Amino acid sequence: MTHPTIPPVGSELPVLRRTITLTDMIAYAGSTWDWHRLHYDPDYLARRGLPAPVVDGQFFGALLVAQAQDFFGGQAFVRSLHFRFANLVFAGDTVECTMRVTAVETRGSLVVATLAASVGVGGDHARVAVAPAGLQVELR
Amino acid sequence: MALLTDELRARIGETRAYTAPEPLSAASMRYYALAVGDANPLYIDRGAARAAGWRDVIAPPTLLCDSNQYLADAERDEDGFAGHSWDIAPPDCRLVRGGNTYVFHKPAHPDDVVTVVWRLVDLAERVNGAGHAMLIVTSEATVADADGDPILTNTETVIHIALGKAS
Repeated sequence: MTHPTIPPVGSELPVLRRTITLTDMIAYAGSTWDWHRLHYDPDYLARRGLPAPVVDGQFFGALLVAQAQDFFGGQAFVRSLHFRFANLVFAGDTVECTMRVTAVETRGSLVVATLAASVGVGGDHARVAVAPAGLQVELR
Repeated sequence: MALLTDELRARIGETRAYTAPEPLSAASMRYYALAVGDANPLYIDRGAARAAGWRDVIAPPTLLCDSNQYLADAERDEDGFAGHSWDIAPPDCRLVRGGNTYVFHKPAHPDDVVTVVWRLVDLAERVNGAGHAMLIVTSEATVADADGDPILTNTETVIHIALGKAS
């Protein structure tokens, strides 16, 4: 099996940009069996001084895996992912996931790429949502 | 007031195990992939998954990091949440999520009946930069298949932050 082209250390992967609507959040809540009111209930949010439904932080884990898997292809196996939350993301926000190759090494028959990632929110209230974050991807 | 009481400290190392009442199912995997907008054929097309060396379609890796599907008794609390909980709720605090570390050992397939073991790894008290006491709760969930082979490990941190400043 040939390895997909591994970009050199320092290369940026294509940015994954996504507007997360309340509909997306309802679908995510259903698919994860997570019905926490933080993600959709206006009365619950108002009592806590929150301006809009809060995006489930682990949604960003799914986006980061998708970004890496799409780039490296079907033969790639995401071995690990870590992320820390910096600021809340709300329904309707547009997030940008950025990812950069920080190391490439060969381990036996595997090539292992290490990536540094972050998730930011653009627009009038630009802020970091997730950082630091990182992945290890194995290419068989 | 100390957030980390002796009673809480004694709970470090506690575990809870849950076994799903049914197989994961291809439908759950497709639902999650649709919800996160991930059209990767590995999750929905058996032919594509087999071409990549897997015996069947695979679950999107993060599905089992965040799904509460494995709980046979999905009883909702007053927040609407029905997932695993340690029922640690220090008074006069707000809860924020710290972060997660996922390690994936192998993919899950539709016929996997998973067992999830949660372990209370650590409880620690700190004061944040704004002078508020924090109780940092670190938990680890290990998801395994019916043979006990690990699928993934999810280590997560949640933080209870006191509303008032530490004295």
